[in-house]
Amino acid sequence: MKKIISLALSLCLLLPFVFLLAGCGGKTSQKEVLHVYNWEDYISEPTQNSDGSTENDYVDLIAEFEKEYNVMVEYSTFGTNENMYNELQINPGAYDLVCPSDYMIMKMISENMVEPFTDDFLQNSTYMKYASPYIKQLFEENGWTKYAVAYMWGTMGYVYNPELSDTVEEDLSSWAGLWQEQYASVATIKDSVRDSYFLGVAVVYRDELMALKEQFKKGTIDRHEYNRQVTQIMNRTDEKTIEATKNTLLELKENLYGFEVDSGKQDMVVGRISINFAWSGDAVYTMDDAEPYFNEETGKEEPGIYLNYIVPEECSNIWFDGWVMPKGANVELAQKFIDFLSRPENTVSNMNYIGYTSAIAGDAVFTEMTDWYSEGEEGDLDEEGSPLVPYDLNYFFNGTSDGEYKDGDYIIYVSAESAKRQISAQYPTQEVLDRSAIMQHFDDATNAAVNEMWEEVKGLPIPVWAYIVIAVIAAGIIVVALSYVYKGKRSDPKPKKGYRRVTK
Amino acid sequence: MMQSLHFSRKQLCIPYALFLVLFVIVPMLLILFYAFTETVDGAIRFSFANFINFFTSTAKLSTLLMSFTVAIISTAACLLIAYPVAYILARSNLRRKNVLLMIFILPMWINFVLRITALRELLDLIGLLGTQNYLNTIIGMVYDFLPFMILPLYTTLEKLDNSYLEAAADLGGSKFTVFTKVTFPLSLPGVISGVTMVFMPSMTNYVVSDTLSNFNITILGKLIDQYFTAYDNWHMGSMISIILLVIIFLTLLATGGFKDSDRETRGANLW
Repeated sequence: MKKIISLALSLCLLLPFVFLLAGCGGKTSQKEVLHVYNWEDYISEPTQNSDGSTENDYVDLIAEFEKEYNVMVEYSTFGTNENMYNELQINPGAYDLVCPSDYMIMKMISENMVEPFTDDFLQNSTYMKYASPYIKQLFEENGWTKYAVAYMWGTMGYVYNPELSDTVEEDLSSWAGLWQEQYASVATIKDSVRDSYFLGVAVVYRDELMALKEQFKKGTIDRHEYNRQVTQIMNRTDEKTIEATKNTLLELKENLYGFEVDSGKQDMVVGRISINFAWSGDAVYTMDDAEPYFNEETGKEEPGIYLNYIVPEECSNIWFDGWVMPKGANVELAQKFIDFLSRPENTVSNMNYIGYTSAIAGDAVFTEMTDWYSEGEEGDLDEEGSPLVPYDLNYFFNGTSDGEYKDGDYIIYVSAESAKRQISAQYPTQEVLDRSAIMQHFDDATNAAVNEMWEEVKGLPIPVWAYIVIAVIAAGIIVVALSYVYKGKRSDPKPKKGYRRVTK
Repeated sequence: MMQSLHFSRKQLCIPYALFLVLFVIVPMLLILFYAFTETVDGAIRFSFANFINFFTSTAKLSTLLMSFTVAIISTAACLLIAYPVAYILARSNLRRKNVLLMIFILPMWINFVLRITALRELLDLIGLLGTQNYLNTIIGMVYDFLPFMILPLYTTLEKLDNSYLEAAADLGGSKFTVFTKVTFPLSLPGVISGVTMVFMPSMTNYVVSDTLSNFNITILGKLIDQYFTAYDNWHMGSMISIILLVIIFLTLLATGGFKDSDRETRGANLW
């Protein structure tokens, strides 16, 4: 008896661990549960206060969905595509809906990891009704329509401070602008292998890309062929390309302020750097944060800087994040969730919260964009007296209206200055999209080679003094070791007769 | 009934044994498993590829070299700063020397990421950020790990028997000789313990190098992180961890960190 009790008590010491391990289970609910796995901060939700209450600032989309369909949503988030992929490998069947980036979607489709959408969804869903024709065509051409739907999308470009130099706009109309000596230590690029590889390749094949552009302008090749060839160039991963990209990126590294993961936005806003290689969504955020604004609390105009966004002439990268349903998912419910998010009014809530550009068009979205960006009607003048310029979004919104707008109406009039700011990052023009390539998913061997290239870019060059330090230390160690060996032999005399050896 | 409750040593050990197995042995075995395998077409198989790759890759070897350099310089700088501080604090008759010691230890109680972010702002203010990447990293490491050097030095120096020093002085040793022949050798356990506690983390603490060098300097810890989070190759990541482990093990062996025959210095080795 004693033994049993004490054993039980000692096991009690373990209980905390047991609870920790079992902490995930235990919820019993009759409601259907939808398991959603998404990026952090990638759906509209109200701000949490430190005391656990919520502000009334953003729409709680998840709660609204739960209420409307009488279901439960288990919502969890990830930080990188690779973490998400590993989680799916370890826990197959644990999620109904995940939101990876373009290349990861391609990888998952090629590995047969995702469920197709139902025919009913492909024909009659809210998503299919309101998704932009541009996005739908992109998915159709690449053969993803059956397996994935787009959520947020955008381009890559440079955010820059137009006051940096007189020629900065012209210089940055090429990706190679960043390599110029006059921009030493004022720019950052992403600490991310795929994005930086893209930048490097664009500079390596600059001449080829510009020649293609000439051909397209002359009309020798059509829009489709132009885009196809740009995409082909930007997806080169042969040995020569990787080597050349490595060298050009190593050259760039000497000229950079540094790399960044998330700090680029803040560093731009405070003026620590003046050029940042950025995703369009982050660019919008940065420009919003940096510009002067009217502080309602103090009633004063707060100072700031107007930043610009530019997509260089050679090419750009179209990126997107999209929803896929992993094998074994609750397809019906997952599709309901996608449709719920695809309602234009919910899309507006999402865009307000996230700041990125949704793949969904529709009346509510266009009205909101007009609200954000429009500075007047056709023929109006801006503050300096020049006429407003049209910003044509027909390619994106045509055919998604419920009656409020007509096809061809989707033009926003902005000043020439504003056309270089947020709106250009939010919605690229048709011209930019012509030269924008999707970056394919690399196979394992290519991935390894590109990663190795990136490691070298990050790890080299080793400064000379580092070799000296190592050499000095190595010499020091050898000297000490030798002296020990020598001393050990000499200073261990035999104890005199009649004495015992002293032991420690 | 109450009296009869008592634990045998064996029973008391159960939680700790379980802890060891679950959180030390099993993870280690997993790392070993991943390090010596590779995934080809979705199937895992035994392989030395990662090991060979590490020692033939320019990128990885230069990262190893860089980590070594950063760690060595940081450790040396820590030792040079911490020894006088610990010596003064331990040997002087200052009243409230505990308060002084606490001031040096105080930063340890503030969240480490916060401290490094603050340091980034400070370095920006001085004008070092973005220009002196190596210096910044080393400043960051020293700033962060200094308490780990001061504490063991302080404990050994404080326990040092004064009569040794008096004897040495009585026998005609100058202050300098007393220090080099008596004080320093006797404080060696503290030095070794401090060195190990600074050297190892400064080879891997990539938050410091990333934040303060604007991602310009890559050290081994960063490489491991990249393999797990960005490159999606757990095998190589595990292999680098194992290599790092072996390096650390060898350093410990060389500095005699495993010896604990010396009863008097045991405590110092812990702290």
